[in-house]
Amino acid sequence: MIGVGDGETATRITIMSHYHEFMLNMKNPYLPIPMVVKKAHVETADRMLRTLELGFLNEEDSKAFQFIPGQFCELSILGKGEAPFGIASSPTENGSLKFTINKAGTVTTALHHIEEGTEVGIRGPLGNGYPIDLFQGKNVLVIGGGFAFTTLRSLIAFFLHPENRNKVKDITVIYGARMPGLLLYKEELAEWEKRSDIKLVVTVDQGDKDWKGKVGLVPNVLEEVAPSSENTYAVICGPPIMIKFTFPKLMTLRFPNERIYTSLEKRMKCGIGKCGRCNIGHLYVCKDGPVFSYAQLEKLPKDY
Amino acid sequence: MIQEKIRQKAKELLENKTVDLIIGFGEGTLPLRATPLFIRNPEEVDRLIWNSFCENNLATYLHKFSQFKVGLVVKGCDARSIIALSLEKRFKPDQLFLIGVPCQRMVDRRRVKKAVKGEILRAREQGDQIIVEGEDFKTALKRDDYLYPSCQVCTHRTPIKANVVIGDPVEERSLIEAHPEIKEFEKKSPEERWKYFEKESSRCIRCYACREACPMCYCAECFVDSPNPKWIEKGLSPSDIEFYHIVRAYHQTGRCSGCGACERACPMEIRLTYLTQKLNLDVKELFDFETGIDADALPPLSTYETEDKQEFIK
Amino acid sequence: MKLKLDKKDFNPFLQSLMDEYDLFAPVQLAEGVSVYKKIDRPDEVDLSTSNPQKPAKEVFFPQSEIMFRYEKTGKQHQVTSTEGVERKRVILGARPCDIHAVSLIDHVFSGKEYTDVYYANKRNATTIIGIACDHPLSTCFCTSMNGGPFSREGSDLFLVDLGEAYLVELLTEKGMAFSQNKFLKKAESNDLNLGREIEEKASKKMDASVPVEGIEKRLDQMVESPFWEKVQEKCIGCRVCTYLCPTCHCFDIVDEALTNKGQRVRNWDSCLSSLYSLETSGHNPRSTNRERTRQRIMHKFNYFPKNFDRIACVGCGRCILYCPANFDIRQTIKEIQKGGDK
Repeated sequence: MIGVGDGETATRITIMSHYHEFMLNMKNPYLPIPMVVKKAHVETADRMLRTLELGFLNEEDSKAFQFIPGQFCELSILGKGEAPFGIASSPTENGSLKFTINKAGTVTTALHHIEEGTEVGIRGPLGNGYPIDLFQGKNVLVIGGGFAFTTLRSLIAFFLHPENRNKVKDITVIYGARMPGLLLYKEELAEWEKRSDIKLVVTVDQGDKDWKGKVGLVPNVLEEVAPSSENTYAVICGPPIMIKFTFPKLMTLRFPNERIYTSLEKRMKCGIGKCGRCNIGHLYVCKDGPVFSYAQLEKLPKDY
Repeated sequence: MIQEKIRQKAKELLENKTVDLIIGFGEGTLPLRATPLFIRNPEEVDRLIWNSFCENNLATYLHKFSQFKVGLVVKGCDARSIIALSLEKRFKPDQLFLIGVPCQRMVDRRRVKKAVKGEILRAREQGDQIIVEGEDFKTALKRDDYLYPSCQVCTHRTPIKANVVIGDPVEERSLIEAHPEIKEFEKKSPEERWKYFEKESSRCIRCYACREACPMCYCAECFVDSPNPKWIEKGLSPSDIEFYHIVRAYHQTGRCSGCGACERACPMEIRLTYLTQKLNLDVKELFDFETGIDADALPPLSTYETEDKQEFIK
Repeated sequence: MKLKLDKKDFNPFLQSLMDEYDLFAPVQLAEGVSVYKKIDRPDEVDLSTSNPQKPAKEVFFPQSEIMFRYEKTGKQHQVTSTEGVERKRVILGARPCDIHAVSLIDHVFSGKEYTDVYYANKRNATTIIGIACDHPLSTCFCTSMNGGPFSREGSDLFLVDLGEAYLVELLTEKGMAFSQNKFLKKAESNDLNLGREIEEKASKKMDASVPVEGIEKRLDQMVESPFWEKVQEKCIGCRVCTYLCPTCHCFDIVDEALTNKGQRVRNWDSCLSSLYSLETSGHNPRSTNRERTRQRIMHKFNYFPKNFDRIACVGCGRCILYCPANFDIRQTIKEIQKGGDK
């Protein structure tokens, strides 16, 4: 029997059954890594978004977990199920992983109710992540809307880290939400706004009496900011309606499809390209995505 | 001939644009099969056929084609399903034109297959016989010996409330006298009945073909898929399978026309209609109601009458 | 190596296998209905059907399979994986089409990035005894799909029914493990001749007229074609085809829970279900049968070939035999090859 973990509070995972010559002794990609909820807080005024900070229960798991921005994990609540969430923390923020959960169904509701100190499971890192190698030496334009901003936080924090900042040139971020209360990561946004090595424009569709920032829809703000498309990669994540109106603006700014990336969502189960559920054409969103360029998407059926 | 009259009527309906679409039967790609056919052009009507293999309940397609005016070829049971669906307001009467055909009862292709040794390569009807041929055999079978269980007990072969009925009405039987299998079954002890049900349902593979073939199963979220509350799991646990079949049968109470589409769709050949037949008999006895006979009679489980029996309420 | 097994020795032979292996073979559940099951007695085996309803992939990829069990005691979770295989296995009597299908889904489960250990452990532990089809059905079109009624591909041992005996070919290392089985005798030359005769006769019966050459490229041009709306008209979305298809591999993962313990289970699922791609937000990219039918056919004849260079159909004909609406994939393929115009 293989046991993983130590101490009374660790989740122990065991492989049942006797080993025979024909058992492959391979890592089981369906077993969750045991994690503990270190911190949890509600992000938004409507209480629908909650950020969890998860810590590894086992040192080896923590060391083995290497990821890049844009990847995701399948979060497990034993008894309720699993659901995929983009990793909101950056690989440069050592030790724990952040996920922002939108309360929508069985698993996400359970993730909204669990307390600090509870154990959960993760499987990951999964997916392809953003093409950070391609971004080297280029400018990066990040456009986010609503709660799709999770993996964009990872991407921005990654490049703002001193070790990585000089890998890319200009960083421009346009982030919009419907109302000020629905903005995610308000602390990080405040910090980033103070920096001179990133141009951050935060906007809301509708302000409130305390809001002193920009008011305007993301596509219009993009038009206003008008970043140059020369040597620039754009990453856009947001609700379908925002993408629908923002995409033409990117075309007007002359961004070619090969330099516009997005992270897609689709109903997923296994997360590793076996159960068949999340395919778009011959590609699987979990394994070949979730990050795709628009040039790639053009060639695939509109199955999303 | 019925086939010719169906074609004529279909042509007329399409030419006059009374309907957008005709749903009927066409030649199947296998012996002993007809297949649902969808035609929109008057020139195509010669593809419509009528024979003893027209087993599908075409009413089930109406959910998919609800935005069109549809001309539908219906047997007795199919017409009953339509009446039941209209009472549930699934479609408006002027959306449909029913081409009713008094049913000669449909042939059970599975039993025909089992009656011969070897694959049937060709089959045709000849009078009251089915002539089947294989590589090294040719046999004539008496058609009436090979009818579907649901057809054997059918009491309403002439379509009710069809816009037009093609062919002469046929002789009917009363519901109570038509169910010898169920009467035999009722004589068994509860343990024997359970054993039978357990055995039949043990073959179930949860494919839900029975549900999809049934015109009355149109819920956007079936109870088996409900996550909250989760009534049953999705695996092959016998109690979950038994729960599914019992509850689905009960959901048919007062709604099932006895068409047998569920049983014919089942790849594991589970005898599903014995459950629904029994329920239909009970509904007749308790509420004097038969599905889809009277277009104005509301289904018993949707209404309350002061004369309803109450002795089971203790 | 070619050996022979007299039919009078068949049951003792099976018993000798069962002493060492878990034996999976077609078992009749009702007249005309059979599935692969682990047998407890040799007389349960029924090789008389052309093909059981449920395909041989079940032995490696069960319809309902526990992945792990868990138990919560206070703050501690005990998770026990059930990926192990207790005993080595034999499948007896799988048809060449079903075996071909297993080698196709091998690509999915034993992929380069992740290995599905549940499938892989069973696969590794299993010896496949295939059986030749001496009477292919008219609905069989394996020869159009790179297979054949006597195809030995993927079999460790291969049986040919000679009437009074079976010819037993030992084809692989796993197969050679049977060379010393006391019930297997040396095959004589007239046995081999008879085998060849039967093989020729069966091959002549096959109608290789389902043209799949170039179908992948054709489908590339047809993604938004009105063909899909037309072809799915008669389909009622009953899913029988996907549940009986030997190459279908979609599954669902769910947790089955009691208060403090439970299990994570995977069950076969079908892309033809209306709820298959329904997202929690309510958005459903495949909200009508048109998209779902397109997905099924494109997956078999375009997407799978793009990933693995092979068509995910073995021509077993189950979808044709069991479809309640007589949707015939052979017809559909021919229409696609004509560009999708009826």
